[in-house]
Amino acid sequence: MFQNKEMKPSELFEQVYETASYTESVLHAHLELFYDEGLKLSKESDRRYIKSESLGLLDGIPIAIKDNINIYGYKTTCSSKMLSNYVSPYDATVISSLKKAGIIFTGKTNLDEFAMGSSTENSAYGPTKNPWNPDYVPGGSSGGSAAVVSAGSAVASLGSDTGGSIRQPASFCGVVGFKPTYGTVSRYGLIAFASSLDQIGPITNTVDDTRIIFNEIQGYDSKDATSITPEYLKLDNKKVKVGILKEFMQEGVSEESQNEVNKVVSLLQEKGHEVTEISLPLTEMALSVYYLIAPAECSANLSRFDGVRFGIREAASTSYEMMNKTRSVGFGEEVKKRILLGTYALSAGYFDEYYGRALKVRSKIISDFKDAFEKVDFILSPTTPTPAFAFGEKTKNPLEMYLSDLCTIPANLAGLPAISIPTGLSKNALPLSVQIMGKPCSDYSVIDFAESIEEMVEFNYSANLLEENNES
Amino acid sequence: MSENFNIDDVSNLASIELSEDEKAKLQKDLQIILEHVEALKNVDIKDEKIDIHPLSKVLELRKDESKESLKHEDAMMNSPETKDGHFVVPPSIE
Amino acid sequence: MNLKATIGMETHVELDTESKMFCSCEVIESEEPNISVCPTCLGLPGALPVPNKTAIEYIVMLSLGTNCNITNEGMFHRKNYFYPDLPKNYQISQFDFPVGINGSLEIVLDEELHSVEIERVHMEEDTGKSVHEGSGRIDSAISTLLDFNRSGIPLVEVVTKPVISTSKMAVAYIEELRQLVIELGISKGKLEKGNLRFDANISVADENSNELGTKVEIKNMNSLKSLEKAIDYEIMRQSKQVEKGESVIQETRHWDENKQVTISMRTKEGSADYRYFSDPDLPNMIIDQEFIKNSKKKIQNLPTDKRKTLKESGLSLSDSNYLDKGEKWLYDLYLSTVENTKDSKSTFNFLTGELQGQMRKAEIDKLPEWVDSEKLANLINLFETNEVSFTSAKDILAKLLGEDIDPKSYASEKNLIQSSDDEEIRALVTSVVKDNQDIVERLEDPDDKLVGFLVGQVMKSSEIKVNPGTVKEVLLKELFG
Repeated sequence: MFQNKEMKPSELFEQVYETASYTESVLHAHLELFYDEGLKLSKESDRRYIKSESLGLLDGIPIAIKDNINIYGYKTTCSSKMLSNYVSPYDATVISSLKKAGIIFTGKTNLDEFAMGSSTENSAYGPTKNPWNPDYVPGGSSGGSAAVVSAGSAVASLGSDTGGSIRQPASFCGVVGFKPTYGTVSRYGLIAFASSLDQIGPITNTVDDTRIIFNEIQGYDSKDATSITPEYLKLDNKKVKVGILKEFMQEGVSEESQNEVNKVVSLLQEKGHEVTEISLPLTEMALSVYYLIAPAECSANLSRFDGVRFGIREAASTSYEMMNKTRSVGFGEEVKKRILLGTYALSAGYFDEYYGRALKVRSKIISDFKDAFEKVDFILSPTTPTPAFAFGEKTKNPLEMYLSDLCTIPANLAGLPAISIPTGLSKNALPLSVQIMGKPCSDYSVIDFAESIEEMVEFNYSANLLEENNES
Repeated sequence: MSENFNIDDVSNLASIELSEDEKAKLQKDLQIILEHVEALKNVDIKDEKIDIHPLSKVLELRKDESKESLKHEDAMMNSPETKDGHFVVPPSIE
Repeated sequence: MNLKATIGMETHVELDTESKMFCSCEVIESEEPNISVCPTCLGLPGALPVPNKTAIEYIVMLSLGTNCNITNEGMFHRKNYFYPDLPKNYQISQFDFPVGINGSLEIVLDEELHSVEIERVHMEEDTGKSVHEGSGRIDSAISTLLDFNRSGIPLVEVVTKPVISTSKMAVAYIEELRQLVIELGISKGKLEKGNLRFDANISVADENSNELGTKVEIKNMNSLKSLEKAIDYEIMRQSKQVEKGESVIQETRHWDENKQVTISMRTKEGSADYRYFSDPDLPNMIIDQEFIKNSKKKIQNLPTDKRKTLKESGLSLSDSNYLDKGEKWLYDLYLSTVENTKDSKSTFNFLTGELQGQMRKAEIDKLPEWVDSEKLANLINLFETNEVSFTSAKDILAKLLGEDIDPKSYASEKNLIQSSDDEEIRALVTSVVKDNQDIVERLEDPDDKLVGFLVGQVMKSSEIKVNPGTVKEVLLKELFG
């Protein structure tokens, strides 16, 4: 876009910022906007294009960053009161990579506190609204990152996905969300929720944008011991075998969501792809496994928030009392709930019954997927059991909220690449999506395949909020 | 769920002070979740090997080389209280 | 009822690596706080650990040095507890898959060799340092100052089985372990710097019982003197309780150097549940045969091998142990010197007594470059064969430490060579006997003290240039036939 001089980076930045200035008052998707710095950097980018010294495809592109990824010199709050005053003294590896590519950061986006939640209702700074209908949640935890892309207040964004936190909000907001293979994108600088499940990925308007951003952020990082040197599988996507996961096409998943899968199946069959039903019975255990492993890991990951070296601090007469009180005041209810659950699952006498057992079932789920991918190239399912729900609809019972990640959690447990792409609208005019899972390290194939589906379904809708405002 | 679940013990281990209201609400929610995960007991898990990394990656070790650390000012910039280049906390001994 | 004590030791050895265990911060010794810290060792949000290869090599070397089996596929665990100087509020450690298991360490105690069984050798990271500010008394701190330069320095924990029975044995064990880590080159091994810090688990029970008593842990000591006193005190304290029929409380205590007692450390209720679980930031660690082979190559001389060499040179076990525990240069010097002398014991005595003594006095910690084992052997041989007196030998040594001389030429030059010429001595003896008839008459037998006086008179008349042994021989022949 900048290469053929249709527009200058600073013009695009101003345009995005202009959009943000009227969408933010409704959506509350950004926690902080970096206007001055962004404008300055986009003008530097202008000059690079004029001198034909552009840093590549992403030079000058304004991207929003989920506020659990560290950018040097800026606040990283994780939407928690605990970190309300925390300024990062270092860059996450993905941030360094994007800076080198000439990316401009629009700002930091809202999330469920410490990425724990599926609606952004758990943000200490207030929820983000869905750009398609502000009475509905944008999903979560990367709700802010999905909403900004959907509303046009950033060209793309980075989110993090532990159990669906990129794909679920992308689905609720009608945009593309991609969780890469575990280990392909460095976690260094991403504030950990559950280390063995967390993965950073892009949220974009098109599958092609996802490919470009993923390309920039993936790769081995010596600062992350779980990072891998990926050898990407390259599949010939002309004729592929697609498995439809039986367990996600039954009770518990809405008819609307199932219909999207059926619609895509017909389109695929028309193109001559082979579609079969497969069954992975243990995926029904995925939610239980997830709600032991993620809280256990988070209970230790969040121990460092103690008021000693950074963050807020409550006054007290001893260190221990200070830590107890700081953690009491600094964490919200959902975070406390998960820390307590994880602490219990790891405690003496209960380890084998809970955490130990969950690890073993996870390991079985991983091998089940391995077997399934002997038979099929991709697994197709709805991304979410329902379209976006209304605020307050699922806050009464924790399980109801957790169930909205039903279809996304297995990919995290098995470390698989998974993408969500919008395919249609619900009867309430809210977006619906399908999810494509692939073998480990088949990221580019998953992206290519998703792109072919994107072409077939021709999803041409955009968020109402934007249209209404454009008309006005 | 185990009848031995004691929210006071757990919050003490987790170093989080809870109000009585919070205890009641959390106890109830945790009960629901723990009941849900009971289903795992029906899965046959014997002989299952555990890999920490979902892709079974093996640990790579780092060469023993020192690199530049954080600047002292950057290390201290978030400290709630500082004295003579130290982080300061209320006494950790009684 | 006769009571016996059972002691198990847990020792933390600080490894001498360039960078920390899980980050690239330099390992430094500095008074200036928080200058070698990074997001990882400060536990900042989002930072991750990556383990140091050299540290893993070192722990493998130590595991081999303590005859442990190496765990080929292991992992790191998180040990969870809240403490302000533990940045993440969990310590990365190892739980059920330590690097080394089931080993033993040979120690020397009272001229005897003992074997101390080792339960496990595992890797972990150090915490930061807390300084308690207040009125100067430990129990009246007003705030705690934290320095994280030490945070993340690699530590190896070596845990023995409960097989130690006395404080002396515990001290001998620590001395041996210290020597081992120095010899392996994996730690500076300086106790005063806290490079080795130890906890002692002590229990007392009826000597006829097969069961151990309730154990009490004395934490965090770094001096052998304190260790010995603390164990003795604790055995006495527990024995009194057991004798009175009271039960010993399982607890953690610390040694109060001022009061010379162990004091109970008040710990947080229920804090013993560490909730160990495998660290999801660190994949399974494989230590394969290749890695073990490469680590083995770096091991040169183990203390047990050294002790064997020393014993073979003719030294007693305790003298061997002294050299083996001492500085390396002295050990090397002894071995090269003794090759050219006749008597290993007198060589040992001269080097460890005279040489080290004079060096201490002169405040030099390194031998001058011209002082080699050959010159020292020559000097030792000079007084061993009575060519010079021991007093002269000491003077020659003093000279030698100051300038490059040849001991033998110097002795001749300075007229220090003692005459062994019988004719000359007989003349001197005859003259002394003549001048001291009153004494000669009082002599009763050859062992009389007055013989020594007469020898002294002969020496004096010769201006100490005759060999006193020969003088005595001639004198006795003259007097008693």
